[in-house]
Amino acid sequence: MFFRLLMESFRRQRRRKMLAGIAILLGTTAVTAMLALATTIGDRIHKELAVYGANIVVYPKADLLDVKVGGVDVKPASGGVYLKESDLQKLKAIFWANNITGVSPELPVQFAVSRQGDERLFPAKGVGYWFDHDFASLKTGAPALHPWWHLEGTWPSRSGDVVVGANFAKQLGLKVGDRFRMQSAPGNVGSSSSTVNVVGIVTSGDETDGAVLLPLQAAQTLVGANDGVRRVEVSARTKPEDAFARKDPETLSPKDHEIWYCRPYANSIAYQIREAIPGAQAEQVRRVEQSEGNVLNRISGLMWLISAAALLAAGFAVSAAMATAILERRGEIGLMRSLGASKGAIAFLFYAETGLLAVFAGTLGYLAGSGLAAWLGARIFAGDGGAAEAVLIPVLLPVVVALALVVAIAGSTPSIRAALRMEPSAILREDA
Amino acid sequence: MNEAKVQTGPLGGSLSEQTTRPDCAVIALSHVTREYSGHAGVVRALADASFSIVAGEWVAITGPSGSGKSTLVNLIGCLDRPTAGELKIDNVDVASMSATELDRFRADKIGFIFQQFHLIPYLSAVENVMLAQYFHSMTDEAEARAALDKVGLGSRISHLPSELSGGEQQRVCIARALINHPPILLADEPTGNLDAANQTIVAELLQDLHRNGHTIVMVTHDPEMAGLAQRKIALSHGKVFCHPVGGPMVTLRR
Ligand SMILES: Nc1ncnc2c1ncn2[C@@H]1O[C@H](COP(=O)(O)OP(=O)(O)OP(=O)(O)O)[C@@H](O)[C@H]1O
Ligand SMILES: [Mg+2]
Repeated sequence: MFFRLLMESFRRQRRRKMLAGIAILLGTTAVTAMLALATTIGDRIHKELAVYGANIVVYPKADLLDVKVGGVDVKPASGGVYLKESDLQKLKAIFWANNITGVSPELPVQFAVSRQGDERLFPAKGVGYWFDHDFASLKTGAPALHPWWHLEGTWPSRSGDVVVGANFAKQLGLKVGDRFRMQSAPGNVGSSSSTVNVVGIVTSGDETDGAVLLPLQAAQTLVGANDGVRRVEVSARTKPEDAFARKDPETLSPKDHEIWYCRPYANSIAYQIREAIPGAQAEQVRRVEQSEGNVLNRISGLMWLISAAALLAAGFAVSAAMATAILERRGEIGLMRSLGASKGAIAFLFYAETGLLAVFAGTLGYLAGSGLAAWLGARIFAGDGGAAEAVLIPVLLPVVVALALVVAIAGSTPSIRAALRMEPSAILREDA
Repeated sequence: MNEAKVQTGPLGGSLSEQTTRPDCAVIALSHVTREYSGHAGVVRALADASFSIVAGEWVAITGPSGSGKSTLVNLIGCLDRPTAGELKIDNVDVASMSATELDRFRADKIGFIFQQFHLIPYLSAVENVMLAQYFHSMTDEAEARAALDKVGLGSRISHLPSELSGGEQQRVCIARALINHPPILLADEPTGNLDAANQTIVAELLQDLHRNGHTIVMVTHDPEMAGLAQRKIALSHGKVFCHPVGGPMVTLRR
């Protein structure tokens, strides 16, 4: 009988149920979309902001001053201590290794160049890089950490291949496919000379435009520093910086230190890198990191606001729809009371109705919201590769359905209470 | 057919124990007043009513429109509570009961028959009867069918109220009122919306119920219907002005 009453009420009051259902559907769609975006947005924004480069730099501890300008070290290339390229493997073993999304070691070199068939030597600067290097599960290197670099041609894949900066190419009149001679500068240990192929021309908008970009190993040979790197840029997924993140780990209690260590703050990751690589100093690049945190905070705040507003609106719509639906049925309520039905039994009937509606509409809203999130994601993060992939987050389903239930029950409570407050004898009288 | 079935009347109402109890006043009013506060001040729908109805009695309540007949019936049916005075149903003071207890009490003790039938339009005849079972305890379709059969609607079981005549609807209403075997039947103008032929059918059903020991309180404007009752209680402007003590049949039963 209970299910019969339930079904009949849906069949008969289809329009009212539909209105309330649509309100819940829209509310939960918005909430699902917001929640789905909020949970994936961290990754997405990180990807977006990765455009602005690394968030951690690593350099030898001995370098008290890091005087790098725009990707080229202006200190004499010879006058420094090196990190070992082979030590970079240790990054794979740090606590937050899986959060590392990019690694780019650099080795600046100075040398002399001459055009083919021209004996004159010009001083030139160069940087040895990884270009498309296998590192754990990553393919990483300078292009990945400098996504704003614009390349014409290809990145070097063999020793003997180089990419030249746009200005350098203009000065020497080089095109892709040309060759020129490189000769190690007199100050360098060892001395070599080789002819290299220009496989690409890069435009960066900074000092790199005047430099030669060559495979790290070639640079190491030129400098005579086997396995040496001068500086490493690391890009990592991090938790936005907060007050706790800025604490000096050495001043923390062992317990707090542990907590600090196990949170993916840029500072903690830098700390772990310092631990892992002997003689290394690692620091976060704060500007990018902070803006990332700010954007995240602002966006999630906005999303919560929209979600709350959507649910509130749904609640009011349910309330209005239920008010008329129950008013229409107050004759039934009067009769049920005369049959000895308690207020509780009748309230249960109506709550079961809205509850069923909420579960149904909430589930649909979850599906629609997941779709909306995928669509919005593709819109907001256009050009971000896999942005269009649908995001069905199963844990959201119970959350969203529970929210729908809360909204439906809260929305229908005033009308159910009002209907039950009415005197049954009065209802039966006016029903005449 | 076993003995219990033989004892049961044609409408399923068993001969109630109350007829043999020493204190037979199944309904007892003492200075009962019911006031409604409306826009135009306080309306005294029932004023200082004192009388009692014994078990198995058939009482007709008469009076002009607005004299408080429905008010009285609703009070007896525990759908409403007195503003003042004491109302005892089955020797229980309704004022002493909580709202929930009153609901339970109503489900157990009272069967309502309305002038407007108050059938649920989207439920079939049998489902309308089962609704009363549902709110009382649990549904039993076979029993509900049997009840409809007894009021002569065996062939109309799955009809919707809109597919039934007024007399048939009223018979569904009677079957519903009886399904939980309540000792008291309250009928507010049960034949008010019926033609002569249907009135006769309903009158016969009520006579049957009376013979089977049901206490019947019936509001009616119809002298012929009122004549079937053992006793008339006349109301005028909320005042009971005529309530002769129990008729011959009650005396007989005592
Ligand atoms: N719920 C209520 N609120 C306000 N006034 C009411 C209410 N119920 C009844 N009354 C008033 O109480 C008086 C008695 O009403 P009641 O319905 O008992 O009359 P009645 O004898 O059944 O009339 P009728 O023969 O027309 O059915 C009327 O004046 C009516 O207006
Ligand atoms: Mg009336």
